[in-house]
Amino acid sequence: MASTAAVPFWRAAGMTYITYSNICASLVRGCLKEPYKSEAASREKVHFAVSKWANGKPEKPTIRSDSPDE
Amino acid sequence: MAMAALRREGRRFLLSSASSTPITARSAISSEESCLFGARSISTQIVRNRMKSVRNIQKITKAMKMVAASKLRGVQTKTENSRGLWQPFVALLGDGLRGDLITIVGVDVKKNVVITVSSDKGLCGGINSTSVKVSKALTRVYSGPEKETKYVVLGEKGKAQLVRDSKNSIELTISELQKNPLNYTQVAVLADDILKNVEFDALRIVFNKFHSVVSFPPTVSTVLSPEVVEKESEAGGRLGDLDLYEIEGGETKSEVLQNLSEFQFSCVLFNAVLENGCSELGARMSAMDSSSKNAGEMLDRLTLTYNRTRQASITTELIEIISGASALEG
Repeated sequence: MASTAAVPFWRAAGMTYITYSNICASLVRGCLKEPYKSEAASREKVHFAVSKWANGKPEKPTIRSDSPDE
Repeated sequence: MAMAALRREGRRFLLSSASSTPITARSAISSEESCLFGARSISTQIVRNRMKSVRNIQKITKAMKMVAASKLRGVQTKTENSRGLWQPFVALLGDGLRGDLITIVGVDVKKNVVITVSSDKGLCGGINSTSVKVSKALTRVYSGPEKETKYVVLGEKGKAQLVRDSKNSIELTISELQKNPLNYTQVAVLADDILKNVEFDALRIVFNKFHSVVSFPPTVSTVLSPEVVEKESEAGGRLGDLDLYEIEGGETKSEVLQNLSEFQFSCVLFNAVLENGCSELGARMSAMDSSSKNAGEMLDRLTLTYNRTRQASITTELIEIISGASALEG
């Protein structure tokens, strides 16, 4: 069982289950043939802006765009 | 209002025309909306301008309604499909807390994080203020000694409302989420960011659940942290049933629970964001529908005023001509 052995490794790398499953999902999507592949890729677009707040003030927002995995 | 302005304008004109010098008459109504030099009728320019602007507003609101309606159809299917994502989790980990305030209090934890889902754009009725209000109410419910509640706000509008009185407890704000069509990958990355940046015992996600185009009740769904879930499952109850399941692989129970609760969070958040987006479109649709109806009514009233004034000025002119002619004859 390869998956069993892998668990501690991605956990140790500081990944959450969400990141791990996303990487797996994008790998599976990568296995598709065209035109399904680009169609699935369009569902992978990421765009949002996060800003942390400290002492009631927002910090400069960081924009996460089109980076499904770190 | 236009009527009153019109009447005022007319009276002033009458007064000044009594002095019968055209120069003073012109200076008395020097504003641009006034009628042409020497004309005897009341100016209808103001009403005409207002009619034009109301008509333009109506066009815009109609277009917005159309856009919302066509977007809604796509998002609604997506939303309904996404409900299948969290339902298994409810069966397994027993959310059971959806919308039911009493059971929420049942699981008592120290660090609550309220995730308020709102929209980036306005003009969509009261859905943003509803979710903000519910979030504030939740904060009051959870408040107590040695407890703290923080906010994570999705969307510009919710942020603008929460900044006013609870800016010190905002931990994270997220915006521009709806630039591309919502998808799971995006929400998963977002959920990941929240998990890494916020410490919590329980996450309470507040959003407007989409029932129909006119009904979207505010809803709370809860995601517990792995530690709390473990404690709960040891204490028995619904979560104790987890032991009945056979789990493949060599992970310990805490690992499984951690993975599960992380995945549950991203799924529930995905559903919440979609539901809220769907409700936003529905609310915008009905809001725009009623505003174009209002604009139509306003336009009707203005047209009536306009025509009446025009008719009155024609009548006055006719009377003047006729009485002038009869004075010459007589």
